[in-house]
Amino acid sequence: MSDPRLDPRRFRPRAFRLDDQPSAAPDFVVEEKPDAYQIEAELLLDPAEQAVEKAQKQGFLGGGVFSWSGLLLSALGGLVSFAFTLWLSNLIDSLFARSAALGVIGLGLAALALLAALVLAGREIKSIFRQRQIALLHRELALAHESDDSDLSRKKVRELCALYKHDPFAAAAREKLKALRDEIIDGRDLIDIAERQLMPRLDDAARKEIADAAKRVSVVAAISPRAIVDVIFVAAQALRLIRRIAEIYGGRPGLLGAWRLARAVGAHLAITAGMAVGDSLLQQVLGHGIAAKISARLGEGVLNGLLTARIGLSAMAVCRPMPFFARKPPGIAEVAPFLIGGDKNKGS
Amino acid sequence: LSIPPEFALSFLSDLMQEALNSAANLSELLRGKGLRLGVTGLSRAGKTVFITALARQLTQLAGPGEKNPLPVFRVAAEDRLIGGRLEPQPDDHVARFSYEDHVAALTGPDRHWPQSTRQISELRLRVDFMRRDGFRSGPSHFTIDIVDYPGEWLLDLPLLQKSYAEWSHETFFASAAAARAPFASNWRGFAASLDPAGPEDEALARRAAETFTGYLRAARGDVYALSTLPPGRFLMPGDLEGSPALTFAPLRLPEGFEAANGSLAAMMERRYESYKALVVRPFFRDHFARLDRQIVLVDALAALNSGPDALRDLQNALNEVLAAFRVGRGGMLATLFRPKIDKILVAATKADHLHHQSHDRLEAILRQLTDRAISRSEFSGAEVDVIALAAVRATREAAVRHGRETLDAIVGVPLAGEKLDGQFFDGKTEAAIFPGQLPTDPRQVFRGDGLAIAEGDADVRFLRFRPPLVGRHEPLPHIRLDRACQFLFGDRLT
Repeated sequence: MSDPRLDPRRFRPRAFRLDDQPSAAPDFVVEEKPDAYQIEAELLLDPAEQAVEKAQKQGFLGGGVFSWSGLLLSALGGLVSFAFTLWLSNLIDSLFARSAALGVIGLGLAALALLAALVLAGREIKSIFRQRQIALLHRELALAHESDDSDLSRKKVRELCALYKHDPFAAAAREKLKALRDEIIDGRDLIDIAERQLMPRLDDAARKEIADAAKRVSVVAAISPRAIVDVIFVAAQALRLIRRIAEIYGGRPGLLGAWRLARAVGAHLAITAGMAVGDSLLQQVLGHGIAAKISARLGEGVLNGLLTARIGLSAMAVCRPMPFFARKPPGIAEVAPFLIGGDKNKGS
Repeated sequence: LSIPPEFALSFLSDLMQEALNSAANLSELLRGKGLRLGVTGLSRAGKTVFITALARQLTQLAGPGEKNPLPVFRVAAEDRLIGGRLEPQPDDHVARFSYEDHVAALTGPDRHWPQSTRQISELRLRVDFMRRDGFRSGPSHFTIDIVDYPGEWLLDLPLLQKSYAEWSHETFFASAAAARAPFASNWRGFAASLDPAGPEDEALARRAAETFTGYLRAARGDVYALSTLPPGRFLMPGDLEGSPALTFAPLRLPEGFEAANGSLAAMMERRYESYKALVVRPFFRDHFARLDRQIVLVDALAALNSGPDALRDLQNALNEVLAAFRVGRGGMLATLFRPKIDKILVAATKADHLHHQSHDRLEAILRQLTDRAISRSEFSGAEVDVIALAAVRATREAAVRHGRETLDAIVGVPLAGEKLDGQFFDGKTEAAIFPGQLPTDPRQVFRGDGLAIAEGDADVRFLRFRPPLVGRHEPLPHIRLDRACQFLFGDRLT
């Protein structure tokens, strides 16, 4: 109530006529305001956010349970495991036929293998669930922000804090958010505060990771003796980058998880290819063009570096447990300035 | 009193109707493509405008490259909305909602709000859209059935639970309030002269009904803006004007009074019961017993203009009316035999009459107004949301600098006859209106006494505006109509 404008007694209802009567000069000025509802609507239609949503459909939030390719894979998987079991039981049978001791050892080894396989599968499933939980959190935080729903926001911010409960660097931010949750605060504002508290350190770490990967890739591509070498290197680096970024944001992609994540990142890349997240495509083409003028190899290196940086940015958008609301999403210029800013930092 | 045969018949016909409802539900469940939307609102809450605006937004879609007027409505935002049109309605005995007339009223050269509704009408909207995902992706369609009716009739629903004696007692008690005394005195004076135990007399009954109706009409006027005024047909009789079912009035009955056969009280009681059986029950059964979703439109601004008494009265009326509906999360069996409303949107209409920064406060007041209904619905598992809505937006926003202060104002053309701050409006002049500020604490507006507060004493004063100037084919501007659509049937259009 410190703002005097909130005091109801100070302002009585008023009317100001706006007809152009020349009789008296009006003693007031009317300033037209940009339409607040329009601005709100434009916030909702953020193309970057829609791209993430579509990409997630390819990744962890796939819509339908049923697909023909899924059916094929499951059926084939079932047949393969039948064949394997058959082979295994035959093997153990024949071991027992040779001698009982061999049979027991074989059985024991099979049991150990089964145990290990179960543990691995359990881990895999757990990691997929965690990655999926992050994707869901992303979607629901976006929804809560969109509808300014304070109950949903509180719930989701609590989940967000729980996601980072083992992160010692986030302890202070968690405490702050915990205290804020019980105060009267708009849902949208709470989410913004949570983003400013929790995300900057992670964003910076992800940015650094992208920059390093882009640097490595461009250097290797520029000096690699064979094209096949840098193709393999770029692919490996891209996969590693995606996994690292997922880990930074609290995910834990296993083998299958990494595959799904890569699909989501690929979809996001495809959707945003024409949008040039954060900066103009022209800049990138120009950077590449100048470098290519100097040397074809150098141009190659810059192009590969740019590609890696784009993959990193897409991975960042897909792995982040919340959309960019209060903070600006980074562009190529922020993560890899050395690639488009005249190659100053390119030390090789 | 023995049960007269017509009530036994009405009970049988109720049973019959339930069976028919179940059959209709079954067929709808199997096709899975329909939804019955209950548009609930007292008179002048904006039901007709809401239905018209909804139908127009869904039937006149933005062309390619044009701005989408419904960004929050997912199916429209994702470009999956193919088109919408009005279809022949399912019930042949009900008038069709005169959509074209209402659109013409809103957008014609002499643009004005539609006349208040005098009879029941029905509308079926068909929406063609693309299914997004899942098994059944591809083109699909969906129908929305909506009923429009005079809001006054809704006030009758609580009567179903009340006996004549209870109703008489409540009506007398309410009319005794100081705020109602000036316009209730005529009827109260006449009612005091009646002897409930005296012989039945048609002339007396008619006179009692007339003075009682006079009292109800006066209370409903703009100045007082009271709401709890059953029976609704007294205010909007429809085709029943002058029939015996409408010729009764409450009587001052002593505690434990037993009406003897042939007495005035017995006659009144019988007519009250037939009013319930022949008028209220069929209305409820035909139009409200089978709803899937409900939107409750509340004109909180008229009550805020009038004062705390009017607000408390509105609160009372809304909570009583909403208690008549079946709400809750229903399983499949419930969907078949006892359909329930699983999503309720409570909307403060005419939100364009105040600045968007006051909308949160208006929503808080609305929550307070419907708190009992909201907690009951949430308890039974229905989803409830509260929004400030303007189905047709008549104003835009501006800041007015006057001296050293800056006021958040709205700009529009006030209706002819509106006055504020010493200015009289003729319905042609545009004006920037600062309607005052709603309090941060919603309970504040319910405190104290006051009805028909004079303009000079009021902290807030909301003027009514003329409809906006839009071209014949332009979309009607609105506030959060898309959010309402998304909440009410967005989940069925995936």
